[in-house]
Amino acid sequence: MNAVLQPQTHLHQVELKPKDYKTDAPSFWCAGCGHYGVLTGLLRALSEIGIDPNHLVSVSGIGCSSRLPYFVNSYKMHTLHGRAGPVATGVHLARPDLAVVITGGDGDGFSIGGGHMPHLARKNLNMTYILMDNHVYGLTKGQCSPTSRPEMKTTTTPYGGVEEPLDPIMYMLTYGATYVAQAFAGNVKLASQLIKEGMEHKGFAFINLLSQCPSFNEIDTAQAFKAACEEVPEGHDTSDLSAAMNAVNTAKRAGRIPSGLLYKTERPTLDQNMAELVKRVGGHKDYDLRKIIDLARP
Amino acid sequence: MQGITKNDLIIRIGGEGGEGVISVGDFITQACARDGLDVYTFKTFPAEIKGGYAMYQVRAGTERLYNQGDTFDVLCAFNGEAYNMNRASLKPGIAFVYDSPSDFTPDIPPGVFAYPIPMTQTAKEMNNLRAKNMVAMGAMSVLFNIPEAALREVIATKFARRGEDVVKGNLTAFERGRELAAALGKTDPWTLGTPKGKQDVIVMSGNNAIGLGAMIAGLDFFAAYPITPATEVAIYVAKHLPKRGGTLIQAEDEIAAISQVLGASYAGKKSMTSTSGPGLSLMSEMLGMAFMSELPCVVVDVQRGGPSTGLPTKHEQSDLFLAVHGAHGDSGRIVLSVESIEDCINLTVVAFNLAEKYQCPVLLLSDGSLAFSTQNVPYPNPDNYKLVERKRWDGKGEYHRYALTEDGISPMADPGTPGGAHIATGLEHNEIGLPSYASANHEAMQAKRFNKLKNVVNDVEPTEVDGDGAADLGVIAWGSTIGVVREALQRLRAEGYKVKGFYPKLLNPLPTQQFEDFGASCKRLLLPEVNFQGQLAHFVRAETSLRPESYTICGGMPFTPEMIVNKVKEILA
Repeated sequence: MNAVLQPQTHLHQVELKPKDYKTDAPSFWCAGCGHYGVLTGLLRALSEIGIDPNHLVSVSGIGCSSRLPYFVNSYKMHTLHGRAGPVATGVHLARPDLAVVITGGDGDGFSIGGGHMPHLARKNLNMTYILMDNHVYGLTKGQCSPTSRPEMKTTTTPYGGVEEPLDPIMYMLTYGATYVAQAFAGNVKLASQLIKEGMEHKGFAFINLLSQCPSFNEIDTAQAFKAACEEVPEGHDTSDLSAAMNAVNTAKRAGRIPSGLLYKTERPTLDQNMAELVKRVGGHKDYDLRKIIDLARP
Repeated sequence: MQGITKNDLIIRIGGEGGEGVISVGDFITQACARDGLDVYTFKTFPAEIKGGYAMYQVRAGTERLYNQGDTFDVLCAFNGEAYNMNRASLKPGIAFVYDSPSDFTPDIPPGVFAYPIPMTQTAKEMNNLRAKNMVAMGAMSVLFNIPEAALREVIATKFARRGEDVVKGNLTAFERGRELAAALGKTDPWTLGTPKGKQDVIVMSGNNAIGLGAMIAGLDFFAAYPITPATEVAIYVAKHLPKRGGTLIQAEDEIAAISQVLGASYAGKKSMTSTSGPGLSLMSEMLGMAFMSELPCVVVDVQRGGPSTGLPTKHEQSDLFLAVHGAHGDSGRIVLSVESIEDCINLTVVAFNLAEKYQCPVLLLSDGSLAFSTQNVPYPNPDNYKLVERKRWDGKGEYHRYALTEDGISPMADPGTPGGAHIATGLEHNEIGLPSYASANHEAMQAKRFNKLKNVVNDVEPTEVDGDGAADLGVIAWGSTIGVVREALQRLRAEGYKVKGFYPKLLNPLPTQQFEDFGASCKRLLLPEVNFQGQLAHFVRAETSLRPESYTICGGMPFTPEMIVNKVKEILA
């Protein structure tokens, strides 16, 4: 497959303020929830990109974070637990001209939906995945998630955790995402910048936003996330996959969370490869079906 | 050539996978269809990737064929295993063509007509071991009057790609086989009847026919995960859909496949997936969402033996419960089932039309027997199909995606439509799509989603009634069992029995009035189906006043006409 890289077609269509992208759906999250930061960052990014809300499809699964599409002025799908990725894949491949943004939590994406993650990344689907990672199950009121630190006691780990958490960033680097970034959700400036860049990126963009849950996660507070996040050092080579993995490992060993753009590369997206394939077989909407039916003549 | 002409002849060819069993079956099928004979084939592939027993059965005849028949009239064994596998079925009157000398020396039961043909030896002498199957085919063409000119044409066409030498080698082996059989002389009474001459037909398997039907219906997007016995639907679509500019994706699992289908449907495209029982189990949660968020989609289930991993390569009609009710909560959908290859084309189109019109999942049930069976079908002219598109919003006024309308159908808006932005959600929602758990709202929305399905019966052909007047016994059948019942009833009527058939293709919502009307004309009812629990019988008893007698088998094989004939006689005795 050697499809030519095409520019994004859905950018810079309109001039709207961040608030124009916000619906008036009643608030859903607790006071002090980190997800407000994600929403603000997203709305700001949408405004800066200048995307036509009619050409945006916002897709989510189930969980507190998966309610986000209700607050975004766009076409949207609130799907099933863990399934935002494949549903968004269908939307995107059916209409590659639309912008598709997935939002969801750590449990939605990396527990029940974990089987889909490698495929979103390796296919290099031209869409953006914002993980709203609060290290806990909030909607079901405080159970451990795949990113929970063992130090935290939850309703299902009342004596503390017994499992290692996974690192969404390392998975995404390994799975083949072509844009991988991370930030504290409360750092709205950085978060919105990364979302904007991710949406402008032609390919699968994964942005992990660390988002505090004031109700069910007592240890990963806003202050804790803020203090632990450390911007990748000046001169970090974002085109180097090993450098990205090293940066994550180095920061982790020091008990820090690397934030900013970690990795970015370009390769043909699935929709481009598919369009190329259709071209190669001479395919078009009006291709005479009889030519296909004739192949079944005895 | 002496002998009596049969309306139809059933030839079974068995051998080791890779010996060309499937090719011989295909060639005979193609040649017969070319000359205007009816064909109905059945094959089993070895479970192993290489080697193992392969079997291909061709039923060919001058009259319309509806099923694979009772048993074979001719057995052609390429090796000892093929002989051993079918030894018990070698009844008096059967013609038995076999490789000799070979790795086996068969006992010929009394009354069996034996034709030892040196298939392997002849092919070896020609330095062309691969042409062993053509020697066998040549021999059979002489013995049973299989259209020889058409067979030569098929050999020439099928081997053309591999060069002139290969064509010549195979033709020579074919002629040699003819000479060998002619020298033996015919002793059995079977010969194929005279063909009608060229007909405008195609020959397809059920799986391929479903793929074709989908493309006729205007399929844009297809996602699936490989699973026996449904994979060939995806293989066919993968090959041909790109020619029409459509999109096919192999999903990471069946949950992803149905999810992608719903995403594409939301984006305004005609979308479909195909699977078998285990895959359908995985899809059930998302089918509930499709009903809830009113997204059109077509899901094909090529049923296999269950439960669990079950009998992946065997035939069963046991997913009806799952198809009708497989999802949590009160969840509706339309369920259609196919009888024949022709149905695989036409009812797939109907499935898309219903999905688009009623904005809900439509499940199309096929089965393991139809999946690989091939039949001749009248050439389907794509212009002759009426295609339905979903009702789309006219852009006037304020858009309410789930507006409560008289017929329960609310216009959809494709993404990109100005003013049409809306949410598709699995949460209970109000008319604009926002979550609402209010009692009155949930009741109104459930009524909307279910009541619209009441009209489906008017959009599907009325259930076929086979036979007139009052009957001593009525047989209700679904899926590929219908074809078996058709023939059984023909035989029974010829013997003076007063019997009728009823062949529903729409299984949910059940056309209950049509059932009642049929039941009223029959003294007793029989419902044969290939599953343990009697799944359709259960629904008929639950939803109508009828009390059919259930006749179930689940041995991994379809019914034969003879089984139905015997059962009916037993009941009416």
